[in-house]
Amino acid sequence: MKHHFLSLVFIVFGSGAFAADGEKSAEQIAAAEALANAPAEGSISTEDGLAAWDKVFDVFSHPRCANCHVDDGVPMWSGSHYGETRPHGMYVGGDPDLTMGQIGQQCNTCHMDGNSPVLHGPPGNAIWQLAPAEFAWFGVSSRDVCEQVKDPSRNGDRTLFEIAEHIEHDALVHWGWTPGPGREPAPGSLSQTVRDVLIWGAAGAPCPTE
Amino acid sequence: MKLTINGTARDVDVEPDTPLLWVLRDELGLTGTKYGCGIAQCGACTVHVDGEPRRSCSMPVSMAEGTDVTTIEGLGNPQAFHVVQQAWVDNQVAQCGYCQSGQIMSAAALLDLNDNPTDEEIDRAMSGNLCRCGTYPRIRAAVKDAASKLRGA
Repeated sequence: MKHHFLSLVFIVFGSGAFAADGEKSAEQIAAAEALANAPAEGSISTEDGLAAWDKVFDVFSHPRCANCHVDDGVPMWSGSHYGETRPHGMYVGGDPDLTMGQIGQQCNTCHMDGNSPVLHGPPGNAIWQLAPAEFAWFGVSSRDVCEQVKDPSRNGDRTLFEIAEHIEHDALVHWGWTPGPGREPAPGSLSQTVRDVLIWGAAGAPCPTE
Repeated sequence: MKLTINGTARDVDVEPDTPLLWVLRDELGLTGTKYGCGIAQCGACTVHVDGEPRRSCSMPVSMAEGTDVTTIEGLGNPQAFHVVQQAWVDNQVAQCGYCQSGQIMSAAALLDLNDNPTDEEIDRAMSGNLCRCGTYPRIRAAVKDAASKLRGA
């Protein structure tokens, strides 16, 4: 389960690619366009599908995503200031079914509607919570995450198009690209990731064999 | 900006990204809420926002608009202690005392939802509140004492 992420590169403040106050950013508009122009099923080769999956996995396995896809209710902390990736402090966790935190100390006790502007301050979003435990993939291999993501019993009963939609409209997913000071954003971009999921799906969702 | 603090409407002229803590302390003179770390790592600044514990050092005051904020001054007062404050006195919890208003606010929020917490449930709810004097055993005892009084036991 434990997976060692190398120290992350110190990054600067968020790119400003996401507009505030409900207004759609250029990235969100591009992601919606990607959804509207999804490639037809069977129109993508297996090779191109696997290449798209590799890029999707780069995002899903990145600490900004994987750190909260855990199965024990304890998110992970990582970053250039933390040394090795480590479990979240404050004795959070306990009941993995309580994805928004424990009674008396919820995630939003500290995590506010937006990122703290202060280094090491809590990152935030209007909704701040763990992925459900059955969607855990922290430290899991590309092949296994690939099989998991296309399995409706382990992906929230979603089609692959619905997974692309989830990425397109979920603000907490979008946070992965605007994580606040001192945190490396997820690789690529929101719209590219939506596009890659759709390409992968149109190729029949091929998975790496090892 | 219009706020409701301890049941009283207050009007403050501050930038919307000012941490609620500094509005409470510097604008409104409510100095019972303490500054510890400024990054939600220690819990000293805990207040209730709509009944839930929140770290006021990391909450922009704009988030508090339209909510009911309760500070340690509004939880109880020397003439009429809140049951948690009374338990803190009865159990002589405080040593230096600096973290205690945050501890009490977290404990009161826990007991609002669970009036019979186990040691584990207390630890889960209270571990974001640090005490450098290390008075944790008394904190736990006082939480249990307050819980039993809330249950009428």
